[in-house]
Amino acid sequence: MATEVGTELDEEPAGVGLGLGLGDTRRLRRGALGAAAFLVVWHVVSLGSPAYVLPSPVAVAGAFANELAAGDMTTALGRSVRHWIPGTVVGTGLGVAAGVAFGWNRTLDDLTAPLVRTLRPVPPLALIGFAIAWFGINDAGAAFIIAVGAFWINFYAAYGAVEGVSEDLLDVGRTLGVRSDLDAVRSIVLPASMPGILTGVRTGLGRCWMLVVASEIFGVPGVGREIIRASNNLRVDRAIAYILVLSLMFLLVDVAFRAVQRRALSWRA
Amino acid sequence: MAGVNDGPPAGSDATASGGGASSDAAASVALDGIGKTYRGGGEPVRALDDVGFSVTDGEFVCLVGPSGCGKTTLFRVVAGLTDATDGRVLLDGEPVTGPTTDMGVVFQAYHLFPWLTVAENVGFGLERTDRSTAERECRVDEMLELVGLTECRGAYPKSLSGGMKQRVAIARALAVDPDLLLMDEPFGAVDAQTREMLQRELLDVWASTGKTVLFVTHDVAEAVTLADRIVVMAADPGRVREVVDVDVDRPRERADPAFGRHVSRVRELIGAGR
Repeated sequence: MATEVGTELDEEPAGVGLGLGLGDTRRLRRGALGAAAFLVVWHVVSLGSPAYVLPSPVAVAGAFANELAAGDMTTALGRSVRHWIPGTVVGTGLGVAAGVAFGWNRTLDDLTAPLVRTLRPVPPLALIGFAIAWFGINDAGAAFIIAVGAFWINFYAAYGAVEGVSEDLLDVGRTLGVRSDLDAVRSIVLPASMPGILTGVRTGLGRCWMLVVASEIFGVPGVGREIIRASNNLRVDRAIAYILVLSLMFLLVDVAFRAVQRRALSWRA
Repeated sequence: MAGVNDGPPAGSDATASGGGASSDAAASVALDGIGKTYRGGGEPVRALDDVGFSVTDGEFVCLVGPSGCGKTTLFRVVAGLTDATDGRVLLDGEPVTGPTTDMGVVFQAYHLFPWLTVAENVGFGLERTDRSTAERECRVDEMLELVGLTECRGAYPKSLSGGMKQRVAIARALAVDPDLLLMDEPFGAVDAQTREMLQRELLDVWASTGKTVLFVTHDVAEAVTLADRIVVMAADPGRVREVVDVDVDRPRERADPAFGRHVSRVRELIGAGR
């Protein structure tokens, strides 16, 4: 479990690979070159394949334009955003809060350890039955699936970050008048673990876009639903067009969050 | 990780006297039969045994000893960060039951809060007093001036040199106007030149504030430079070997024969305590 979380957190999400916002033009140029090469290879391979196996990039671009023009794409995205935002906000909030609380308080940690270890390996997708039973086939049910995914990523990131807070800083705080757990958490534990917590939040934001597909698998409309429907109808071009929507949203959110992260952690620069 | 409440009960009774304005009051400290036994998995280890000495108001006392003599354990016991197995620490006659703002504590590794600016670090303890914002800002300015870091008030610790970090840590410890300054090898991590400068500055601060200082070091020359008296410890178990009075006029010069005699005397005692 721990190693899995570790690799999740160490992975640099795609936004970094593009070097966005860094002004590293050489990196950007090479990235563009790589992408262009990929498109050429894709196009060449697609020439010998039927469209339901591999549509050409041109066909995908066409499908993207059609969906966008017809308004279907923005409608689907609007619906997915209504799952993504509440799911991410609730899952991130609860995950960070629980991670900090259990990482800080030994008693809470001991009490919940068996439960946490039992629930942790359950993939969000396996909880669809509960989503339907508790919330129904609606936006709330889809948001629930996303929230579960966001919760665990943020829980483990916050838990580990709090565990790693230096005892020495807490000692210093005590000699300077920190007396209550609340004061210690607020003025030392949270700021000291903020880099780890924000890495978790960022990983979670990306993971939640992936979970949009899973969360709409049981029939709630949205981008994920469109991908599933297009695939079922062998309209691979449409499926890829909607996958691109998820990628773009992921990139947008990631770049924005990175800016927030840099600002919040400016003391590390 | 342990919560704050896992430690000994907070010395709330002891903080009352430190709440006033810049009183520059000094305190006396008495260690009374301090013993510390660590009971781990194997044999219990006696780290400190019947350690007793006192530091009077406004006095500068250094604590030296061979490595493993329990200097740092004793430092933590005095600071209220570690419980002693036996004995007690009295600050102005009151038993120390936990960390208190009546003691300003400075660690070797600075332990500045990296997410706070220099001024915010210095003001950290002040925020937990009943001083007004204006009073706090005024006190922070005063402390920064005392350690010569007014220019760096908005900088983050990461951009500071070791010597500057330790100045911030000293200013932070002094800001809440403690009666006693407790320092654990504070200049152990800086280069020799910076160390001598910091020693001179500390003596100036001591002279101008009149605080009582208990200063742990492994550097004998440093102890002779700074202290009124030197408590020499012996190891296995950690105990007081002898207390040496330093009868050398300040400012002390290393070239002074009296200085050299004290250094040799303390070194001899440490060697005998191994």
